[in-house]
Amino acid sequence: MLLIGGGKNMKKLISRAIFWILIPAVVLCGALIFPAKQYAFITLCVTALSCVPFFLRFERGEADTKRLVLIAVMTALSVLGRILFTPIPGFKPVTAMAVITAMYFGAEAGFMTGALSAVISNFYFGQGPWTPFQMLSWGLLGLFAGLLSEKLKRSRVLLSVYAVISGALYSVVMDVWTVLWADGAFNASRYAALLLSALPFTAIYAVSNVVFLLIFAKPIGKTLDRLKTKYGI
Amino acid sequence: MKAFSNVHPAVCMTYFLSVLLVSMFVPHPVLQAEVLFGGALFCALLGGRRASFRDLGFYVPLFLMVAVTNPLFSHNGVTPLFFLNGNPVTLEAILCGISIAVTVIGVLLWCKCYSFIMTSDKFLYLFGKPIPKLSLVLSMALRFIPVYIRQSRRVSRAQKAMGLYSGKSIVDRVKNRMRVLTAMISWSLENAMETSASMKARGYGGKKRTSFFPFRFRTSDGVLLAGTIVLLAVTLAGAAAGVTDFNFYPRVGVIGNSSAAVAVYAAFGALCLLPSALEVKEAVTWNYFVSRI
Repeated sequence: MLLIGGGKNMKKLISRAIFWILIPAVVLCGALIFPAKQYAFITLCVTALSCVPFFLRFERGEADTKRLVLIAVMTALSVLGRILFTPIPGFKPVTAMAVITAMYFGAEAGFMTGALSAVISNFYFGQGPWTPFQMLSWGLLGLFAGLLSEKLKRSRVLLSVYAVISGALYSVVMDVWTVLWADGAFNASRYAALLLSALPFTAIYAVSNVVFLLIFAKPIGKTLDRLKTKYGI
Repeated sequence: MKAFSNVHPAVCMTYFLSVLLVSMFVPHPVLQAEVLFGGALFCALLGGRRASFRDLGFYVPLFLMVAVTNPLFSHNGVTPLFFLNGNPVTLEAILCGISIAVTVIGVLLWCKCYSFIMTSDKFLYLFGKPIPKLSLVLSMALRFIPVYIRQSRRVSRAQKAMGLYSGKSIVDRVKNRMRVLTAMISWSLENAMETSASMKARGYGGKKRTSFFPFRFRTSDGVLLAGTIVLLAVTLAGAAAGVTDFNFYPRVGVIGNSSAAVAVYAAFGALCLLPSALEVKEAVTWNYFVSRI
């Protein structure tokens, strides 16, 4: 955002500055300027800021064109999936794509696919305060899948469990913020009502994650493995 | 082309972030009314009359839902109107619900304007320089999407020609889209490897890349940026000084009318109306010159 050009040290410096300067500054600003909505303000800003170190780390890494293009393709495919399935509300392949990318190309690629899909698909579906939360939750779902990749590849049961949990996670996280924003503090009865009213969507998220992962993990994995040996990624 | 679309992306971004910041996090009735009015006006100017009427069908029910349900979650307040299941429904909770609903809809409207003005090319222009690799991935993905949409239509037509019609049922529709997506995946991944080989052959990663963007920072952009910053600073100073503090509980507060409060209302009102004023000025100039020709 604020950095222009800058070498590797500059980027490292900024990663650190986020933790030691920007996040405390956000907390202070929230308390001083927006006392009524400080929790919502702090949560939103910290969520957005926590994506930045991942992005900068990706920037610092080696520029391997094949990996870059692959991440772009997986991102585009997950956005395409979200567009293809618009007629069925809540049925999105974004999590599945991030998880599959992470399983075969590592945690970082998974995070990038998830987070970038959020930004790009919202160019089509509308940006809003939900964008940073989508970025972080889809990104982190990819990241954790990357850390568990060997286990997820071996067991379809574990994969389904991961899919169900990740389907629930997004509503759970997002609704906390909605409550903080509406009430200025945590209001348990509103949170419960929101979770309840989102339940059909949460169920569809979970089902769609399971469906996409069970159907696509194998064939895409096969294609990705073949690409790995054929082109040496 | 809308007048605000021609403003420099950095100025647009600053402007939208300023409005959204205040509208999301300063809950004061006057400011909220300004957010809603400014957002609705700008949205109507951008989207045209028909789209605005269509949107009403979405926003009015949303407004009622948020406003009416608030007393269910909050039993604070000292003026009970009636009792529901033994819980008091208070005047304060209803008013607070209306305030929340106004904020939610105001923010949604401004986000819609943002999506209309801040297209992906402007976004890439703003964030491309500090994060070259990421912005390359972003712009590639953005480029792939229309290509893939076209290709997936081709795949879908081919499948139809093969007799793979999709019925009306959800399972059938999902199956059909899944088939298309599977075909797309292998096609796009093969294609990607060719792209990357071609990038390498053309020397990607060797030197710094240059890019072309048709944005220029004009004097008028500078004026607009300065105006935005000054108006935002006045509003935030007011918020920090406690001028815009407003409570619904236990008793609805009084809307301040000190000179400081009026200054904050005026500053933020001007901020909210800035783009609409720009659009109107542009339209007037346009019509003025048209009638002269």
